[in-house]
Amino acid sequence: MKKEKTYFDKVHTWGRIWVVAALVFFLSIPVAVSIHFGVTPRGEIIGKGVAALIIFLITGIVEVIAYSPMLGAGGTYLSFVSGNIMNLKMPCAINAMENAKVKANTEEGEVITTIAIASSIVVTTIVIAITVIAFALNPSFSELMASDTFAPAFQQVTYTIFGSLAAGYFIKHWKISIFPIAAVVVVLLFVDPGIGVLIPIGVILSMLGAHIMYKLKLV
Amino acid sequence: MFADFKNDKFMYLIVLAVIVFVCAQALFFLRKAWIRGKELGISTDKLKNAVTSSAIFSFAPAVGIAITVISLSVALGYVLPWIRLTVIGAIQYETTAAIGAIQAATNDPSANIAVPITDPQIFSEITWVMTLGSILPLILIPIVLKKIQKGVSDVASKNSKWMDIMTAAAFIGLISAFIAKGLAGMGSKTEPKIGDGAGVLSLAALVFSTGFMIFFTLLNKKLKKNWIEALSMPVSMALAMIAVVLINTFAPSIAQIEWRY
Repeated sequence: MKKEKTYFDKVHTWGRIWVVAALVFFLSIPVAVSIHFGVTPRGEIIGKGVAALIIFLITGIVEVIAYSPMLGAGGTYLSFVSGNIMNLKMPCAINAMENAKVKANTEEGEVITTIAIASSIVVTTIVIAITVIAFALNPSFSELMASDTFAPAFQQVTYTIFGSLAAGYFIKHWKISIFPIAAVVVVLLFVDPGIGVLIPIGVILSMLGAHIMYKLKLV
Repeated sequence: MFADFKNDKFMYLIVLAVIVFVCAQALFFLRKAWIRGKELGISTDKLKNAVTSSAIFSFAPAVGIAITVISLSVALGYVLPWIRLTVIGAIQYETTAAIGAIQAATNDPSANIAVPITDPQIFSEITWVMTLGSILPLILIPIVLKKIQKGVSDVASKNSKWMDIMTAAAFIGLISAFIAKGLAGMGSKTEPKIGDGAGVLSLAALVFSTGFMIFFTLLNKKLKKNWIEALSMPVSMALAMIAVVLINTFAPSIAQIEWRY
């Protein structure tokens, strides 16, 4: 007898179809741009450019392995298509699970993270579209947002996201929180490799610290 | 709006198609998850709360993303950065990726995002580089995601307490990286700006958002209202942003203090 497909199986089937479609669609964009402008891109220039972005290719692999258990299956298929994962999709998913009191890696967690990330994508896409069109039509608006009054504030958006997320998480899990913050600060005192590298460092150190504390029965 | 070749009607048609695709995928998964949530007995209130909270929460970061689009628009026009930051791209490294692509395509190691790209050939090459440089996750995910998820759920079923701690630790590790960056992160070397290194503004953003969030959490414990829970995070973020603007406006000499620049 054929085994009935679980919700997770179905999510993976839908996700694969959407991601492969996205891949074909996104690759067709530079093709369309080249044809539209009647130009033939030079292979060696593209090769050199992609080689310069090698760190992003490596980061891409690390992100898939590190983030997918936290984002859930549906959340991962959505997040990697729409981007802005760590500054937007991930905090959204964590906040929604906290509010709904569900755990990651459960079916309830899967449902809630998918709903949260999907809602975030629709709103973000619309807000970016409206804001960019407003900027394009009205350069003075653009100057105001880029002014010394507002630009430094928007520079801090990410910190307001993680400050508010930290409030709930660190209070609840303070024992395992001190070590990773201190360790990443120490790393930063010597070298700042950028947030793309700092995140895996933070996640690995945090999990390592928590594992040791678990073994020592401290948590 | 359409004067420059980088912002012509064709480019706007592409971004429109991208927006339709991304929203269609999101709405498809939203509908499926909602139906499954109801089958699992999750209350409509909880499901609605997830939508409302995420929608409001996304507003300020989305404006921040749009500002990144603007900062890249001098060199690349509005549409290409807009596409990049609607799909796959990320605010943290899109500027660096754009600079890398511009330098390679112009064959000028000092080229940056302040100079407009005027050659369609170079522009198309930048489009290629920015696309090929970021699509690896989309190739990997259909192949490896199911295996990763299965591995995680197998471990979770064997030792759920350990798995709960590890999941919390993973989230905390992610949050720690940003908190530490706000406390001790360096500013950009290639595109230095006020407020990009750890200093008064980043510390204020962290302290105020944490403080407001604690306040709303305590308030909700007392009043037990769903709407407070849904709004706690976006409102804490918004109030912290207002605090940062106020500090920057009324005490600029203090606001510009950065201990890591």
